[in-house]
Amino acid sequence: MLPYNWMMAVAILLPVVAAVLVYIIRQYHARGVIVILAAIALIVNSILFLLHGKDTFSPANAQMWDMVVTVLDYLILLFYIYVGISLKNWLVLIFALTQIIPLAWFEFGMGGRAALANVSPTFVVDHLAIVMCLVISIVGSLICVFAIRYMYDHEHHLHLEKSRASRFLFWMVLFLGAMNGLVFANNLIYLYFFWEVTTLICFQLIAHDLTKEAIDNAARALWMNSIGGTALIIAMVILFAKGAPLSLDGILSGGVASAVLLLPVALLCFTGMIKAAQLPFQSWLLGAMVAPTPVSALLHSSTMVKAGVYLVLRLAPAYAGTRLSIMIALVGAFTFMAASGLAISQTTGKRVLAYSTIANLGLIIACAGINTPLAITAAILLIIFHAVSKGLLFLCAGTIEHIIWSREIEDMEGLAAKAPLVTVIFAIGVLSMFLPPFGMLLGKWMALESASTIPLAAWLFVIASAATIVFWAKWLGRFLQVLPKLGAKIESLSLSYTVPLWLLVLGIFGVGIGVASVYTGLVQNAVADVVTSGQALAVQGWGLTVNGYSAVSSTANFAVGNYPVWPLFIVFAIAVLIPFIFVAIKPGELRPVYLCGEQAGGTDTDEWYSTADVKTKVQLGGYYFQGVLGEAALNPWTYTLSIVLMVIMFAVALLAMGGAL
Amino acid sequence: MNAWIIAIVTVIVAPFIGGFLAGIDRRITARLQGRFGPPILQPFYDFFKLLGKSKIAASRLQLMWIYAYLVLMITALLFLVLRLDILLMMFILGFAGVCFALGGFSSKSPYSHLGANRELMQMLAYEPVLLLLALGVYAQNGSFLISQIYASPTPLISRLWPIFIALLVILTIKLRKSPFDLATSHHAHQELIKGIMTEYSGPYYALIELTEWYEIVLLLGIVSLFVANPLWVGIVIALAAYLLELFVDNVTARMTVGWMVRFVWAVGITLCILNLIWFWVFAAIKGVS
Amino acid sequence: MGIIATSRLKSPWIMHFDNSSCNGCDIEVLACLTPLYDIERFGIVNMGNPKHTDVLVVTGPVNRRTARVLKNLYDQIADPKMVIAVGTCSISGGVFHNCYNVLGGVDKVIPVDVYIPGCAARPEAIIDGVVMALQKLAKLQGVAL
Repeated sequence: MLPYNWMMAVAILLPVVAAVLVYIIRQYHARGVIVILAAIALIVNSILFLLHGKDTFSPANAQMWDMVVTVLDYLILLFYIYVGISLKNWLVLIFALTQIIPLAWFEFGMGGRAALANVSPTFVVDHLAIVMCLVISIVGSLICVFAIRYMYDHEHHLHLEKSRASRFLFWMVLFLGAMNGLVFANNLIYLYFFWEVTTLICFQLIAHDLTKEAIDNAARALWMNSIGGTALIIAMVILFAKGAPLSLDGILSGGVASAVLLLPVALLCFTGMIKAAQLPFQSWLLGAMVAPTPVSALLHSSTMVKAGVYLVLRLAPAYAGTRLSIMIALVGAFTFMAASGLAISQTTGKRVLAYSTIANLGLIIACAGINTPLAITAAILLIIFHAVSKGLLFLCAGTIEHIIWSREIEDMEGLAAKAPLVTVIFAIGVLSMFLPPFGMLLGKWMALESASTIPLAAWLFVIASAATIVFWAKWLGRFLQVLPKLGAKIESLSLSYTVPLWLLVLGIFGVGIGVASVYTGLVQNAVADVVTSGQALAVQGWGLTVNGYSAVSSTANFAVGNYPVWPLFIVFAIAVLIPFIFVAIKPGELRPVYLCGEQAGGTDTDEWYSTADVKTKVQLGGYYFQGVLGEAALNPWTYTLSIVLMVIMFAVALLAMGGAL
Repeated sequence: MNAWIIAIVTVIVAPFIGGFLAGIDRRITARLQGRFGPPILQPFYDFFKLLGKSKIAASRLQLMWIYAYLVLMITALLFLVLRLDILLMMFILGFAGVCFALGGFSSKSPYSHLGANRELMQMLAYEPVLLLLALGVYAQNGSFLISQIYASPTPLISRLWPIFIALLVILTIKLRKSPFDLATSHHAHQELIKGIMTEYSGPYYALIELTEWYEIVLLLGIVSLFVANPLWVGIVIALAAYLLELFVDNVTARMTVGWMVRFVWAVGITLCILNLIWFWVFAAIKGVS
Repeated sequence: MGIIATSRLKSPWIMHFDNSSCNGCDIEVLACLTPLYDIERFGIVNMGNPKHTDVLVVTGPVNRRTARVLKNLYDQIADPKMVIAVGTCSISGGVFHNCYNVLGGVDKVIPVDVYIPGCAARPEAIIDGVVMALQKLAKLQGVAL
């Protein structure tokens, strides 16, 4: 086994080295080999972390690393200022200044630097961090592998004269290192540093295509996340001013934070919510859709947004039982509902995926806010399942884009005939997002079963669930609208596409069927890192049982709920997989669809005789309800309500602080 | 072992009960319209006739979803009779509905496309009420297990009667009765032929009929949960609810999809949430005193 | 096969197709569905969709435009299927038989099992025709009606 400092180096620094190599070596195959090797190294390393268990780490040359972090911090912020000035984007400039000035004042004026240097340990690798590291290393690496070929086709399609794929892969691989650093960081200045690095990489990746839209959206992502950075710095300043420790384990050490410290905790959660694109900050993530699809896959599944929910989840003990906790649950639940509703009205596939991500992150944050052991378990399981499923869906979206060269849902009609392989994989991804027996539904089920303490959140979940069914089913439905023909030819795709896709499909079934092992081996410990009291979930026979924990059921001794995992997978196999494989049909049994007897020809055409015997194509269109559920109709309401919720969230923290003073 | 016997008996017996109820439905509907009506066993004649027809289909995909619809509906019914988690049962019922809608989408037929879209709108309307029903069960019993409903001495209806009313509204949608028979239609061929079922014929259509029989039993089973002790009262209430649905079917006209969603959300969800608020306030008062 | 053969006789679902009739026969076909005649007593249901149909009820003479449609609908009906031509026009073209656009009776396009004459055919005659079609089916299957 590797020594621990080497494992840390592989997790954080190896991606940096690999990224630089990828940038220098511009040969397609060599570059691909480096990415694949780095991916394998990261995956193995993350498993080593799992085997090693909980530990802490402080680098040997602490002073040198502190210096490196400080210098890079200011370089990044200066770069933001440069971006703001050169793009004439004043918001970027303002929020860069609101970071660099307080930071410099805090570190050198108030003497925060000495306090930060004293923080020990620098990194805390507990089980929650290990879960995140596994998600980042495995799902993130697969996405990077996918990107090798994707960028080749992407640039081929754009007819670029000079390849910029090296630059793209540089930022992609670097992202993994920054995320690993972020989830391990305990010292707040390290957390801030990695936070800023992810923001920077996000900016670079969104702007990659250098169209006006790409640059505008990248700038928006930058200034919105800079607000988060500012909040993080203010939190540090308040913590320092109140004499509290400047580390995550310091904040969490005393259980529920004292009323005075509730405000910095709220600010840190606010930072996380911006990164997790909670309403009203969802527009940066929607804008990020202009980037090449591997970027979206990376941002949505394993990195960036997951950093946001990770921070909120990590801080859960600090606000347990407070009104802040209720407000965080409501912000999340409202986002879950509003984003699910808005997703119905979206006509672009990637925007549906984006809203679905925002919705599910809302659900995870709501679980953190509900703050019972069961809810925290649900949140951590959702992080894992969502990463795998959403990674798969985005990679599918990317592959589809390279087959039909469109992102519009209406253009995906009948893809089951054009691209049966991708359709099957996409269908598995979609079904795994909202239906039993897959993990996402298990998480939603647990969230609902735990939401009794905050009924309003439960009602929002319920409405969101119904909307979720509609937008997924109607999208998948468009794929299936095929002519009555047999023997669709399976499309040939590069291995760089299919290997990550199949591995993620395997992952969906693996973590789904083995959820009991995932829970006992991984999540249980991670939950114990967040909440100490009580075992919410028990593995019983072939299922999971929710133990009574609430006031209602503590009097009687019975289970709250039961989720038979394996029987449900058997049902799924009987219901979907076996018919899919075995339902056979003879060519002679096919008939054209009913078009009032006016179909023009047999099974090979979808035309019919219109007025004056003109052959006309059958045209079908999905329901989108732009008038009722469109962004133009809903956004005034969602923005108002979500801003009100955020304001109340801060008011609650401020009131607690005021009361304590 | 006992559970296996219950499961097998349910799978065998349920379609007979469902088909018989469907036959009574047609007979009573005919009487309400001043007609004599078909024999009670008519649904079974239809079913076997359909089995004997030659197989034709509009695509291979649509067939697999219909098997999924059947299997998942049976699974949901088994959750009920084996007294498992009611919330999960609702999700499985939702999965069954999704499969049916996907089956409707799986051909380039304008009528089944229209029906499938409407089926999804129906799910948008009824799914929240079914999930809120599960939350109501938890609010009363402190458990999502159906076995606890049977173990509890107080019947659900005593405190969940607003949710019960909402359930009756949902029942109209689920049984595909007027004013909500929107996704498929027994009588309005002119508008959408047979909606989501248009492209299924012969044995595959028989499978849908079979699934609907299971669904009738499942839905009436959910209604009967409201008076689970003694069970015969619950069953009587369920049958009365069924008669009420037949009556509603015959005295109302079909409405539009938008009207349905608005009506169910305005009446159904409001009733459910008021019911749950009452529980919450009640618990808060009890906590204070 | 016994139960399926019996069920076939007890559940004939019909679809009514109007070629280019004067609507006289159509009204009589619809009259069969009313409470007075109530053909649902025999399990007969008007489905309006070839994919669910057992008996195709055709009225009016076939013209050049409807011949294609009639053929298409007939092809979309699953076996076993019966065709009933209702009214004089659907048998021979009737008063329209020499029109420039009329081909003639239904049997010019698809095979017909039962012819029901009349202008218009009475509901009693139509019901009798359906029963006759069922008898023919029973004879084919070798079961008693």
